[in-house]
Amino acid sequence: MSKQETKVKDANGATRRDFLRKAGTYTAASLSGAAMLLSDPKPAKATANVSWAEHFQKNYRLMTDEEKEEAIERLEKRYSEEFGKKVKVGSEPAIEGVLFGYALNIQKCIGCRRCVKACVAENNQSRGEKQQIEWIRVLRMEKGKFSAEDRDVHGYPEDYGIQVGGNAYKPAGVVLEGQHYYEPDQVPEKDAFYLPMQCMQCEKPPCVKVCPVRTTYRDPDGIVVIDYNWCIGCRMCIGACPYWARRFNWGEPDLPAEEMNPDTHYLGNRPRMKGVVEKCTFCVQRTRKGRWTGCVEVCPVGARKLGNLLDPESDVRKVLASKKVFRLRADLNTYPKFFYFMD
Amino acid sequence: MFNFQLCGPIICIGLLGAASIASAAGETVQQDNTCFESRKGLSQVQQQEIKPGVMNVKCSPTTGGVLLWGDPFEGTIPMGDMSIEADYSHEEAVVKPREPQIDRNKLLTICSMACHNGEYVPYPENKLARPLKMHKDIVPDAMQLKHGKGAIWCLDCHHAATRTKLIDHYGNEISFNQPQKLCGKCHGQVYRSWRNGIHGKRIGMWQKGGKKRWWTCTECHNPHDVEQGNRNSGFAQLSPEPAPVLPKGMSNADHERGHGEQAH
Ligand code: SF4
Ligand code: SF4
Repeated sequence: MSKQETKVKDANGATRRDFLRKAGTYTAASLSGAAMLLSDPKPAKATANVSWAEHFQKNYRLMTDEEKEEAIERLEKRYSEEFGKKVKVGSEPAIEGVLFGYALNIQKCIGCRRCVKACVAENNQSRGEKQQIEWIRVLRMEKGKFSAEDRDVHGYPEDYGIQVGGNAYKPAGVVLEGQHYYEPDQVPEKDAFYLPMQCMQCEKPPCVKVCPVRTTYRDPDGIVVIDYNWCIGCRMCIGACPYWARRFNWGEPDLPAEEMNPDTHYLGNRPRMKGVVEKCTFCVQRTRKGRWTGCVEVCPVGARKLGNLLDPESDVRKVLASKKVFRLRADLNTYPKFFYFMD
Repeated sequence: MFNFQLCGPIICIGLLGAASIASAAGETVQQDNTCFESRKGLSQVQQQEIKPGVMNVKCSPTTGGVLLWGDPFEGTIPMGDMSIEADYSHEEAVVKPREPQIDRNKLLTICSMACHNGEYVPYPENKLARPLKMHKDIVPDAMQLKHGKGAIWCLDCHHAATRTKLIDHYGNEISFNQPQKLCGKCHGQVYRSWRNGIHGKRIGMWQKGGKKRWWTCTECHNPHDVEQGNRNSGFAQLSPEPAPVLPKGMSNADHERGHGEQAH
């Protein structure tokens, strides 16, 4: 028994309720997949409270409006009880005529990680020592170490002969690949620049191509979203993403009720369960209502810009028109909509 | 006080009062419910509830920087007229007034009334640079001006007679709330990018026609020390937010710090 079967039954005309009523009579073994997800030795609320109805609902993309409403109502009820406040789960669709694009000024970024923390506060990620999930990572890039002493003046090292090709055997000018765990007292540091990375909302997203249950997909506004309820946790997408943008809830997410942001979206920042993948959605709960993302707003140096790529007057298009721009791993033909620029 | 012989008793009391207000204000900047937006100490905001359950800002517990705005337009005023038409003439543009931040210790107001009223201290005859005789402690930036590499000084930006105003090329007053009009005098290219919304910071609605709060120049840059020491970045240094938690089983991050000295 599987989700596949659910779909078949639906196609045959059986209602969801019929199916769920029958589900009670199915053998225990047939439900073992679901049972495993629900059998955390110390079940925390988030996953344990996922109802059978929620567990067996359709892929969000295939739901009728009525089914969406039903699913959202169910979620709002569960979240509101769990977090002790009125939680809203939005379902705003993509805005007509909008293709979201992002531009980040790496010349300006000071590496303060405010965007990382604002994102966590806005998007209800798991936090704390046990399981920390951050959608944005900021890399500290070194400007290189060059000094006269490090220079290898000999050319071919005598002992090795010509076949080694004349490598310099001292690391003059070696530049680190990027540091995640930098912790100076103050930023920016004199000898570094910073490169923040997050989901690039690729136009040809490899993560979508590999998803066996098609729970992650590209919406018409170019945002790649995930229906967490349909995610089977296989983590294929994590392997496929060249930008290391996706995170997995290995354990029960740790989201304190008082820090929970109750303004959520079904495909965005609603609380996640154990065993599902998540990533940046350009704050779909904000941007589809016209508001800038948390990271754009928080950046104290204004390095982050977001706008409609189809509108020549938008911030992003103006950046593309007047600045020096590049994308990461353009050679992979993923067509990221996340641009880096310099003045 | 250093200027005791130079002023009458009443004015000295005024100055002393102002100085003590100044130091008190300096100390209270780090109150529990006060956070900063972009410039620490000069873009402060009080955390408060604006609607039941909604705070005006959410702040970082580690650095005191604002993380989220509950209401992006709280405490703002209309941006006001600009000399050149730009996009924002078609949409609602607001700014946070700079005067309360700059005059938070009331020095500006007191000084312009008590001393620089044109009578007690006469207005300067011209705006030519000359050594400052006073105020070395009251205006700490004044003696170490790092802007323009010696080509400009106080009265190129500050109004010679009205100390609460800045000045344009023609001698007209500019409000501290519209520093862009002053900075744009020299920094034309940056000014153009700023007007286009691609330099500097805006929050609110991204859509064309949507209301936006614009950050003005002095909300991010210190005009007296734009070079910010040796880093030369235009921004004062800040404490970063904490690094990510190390993956399970990893005790340090040395793997990403080495230059390959031991590798070969
Ligand atoms: S950056 Fe990664 S997760 Fe985001 S759309 Fe591209 S492949 Fe998918
Ligand atoms: S908030 Fe802005 S300056 Fe700070 S790390 Fe993020 S992008 Fe860089």
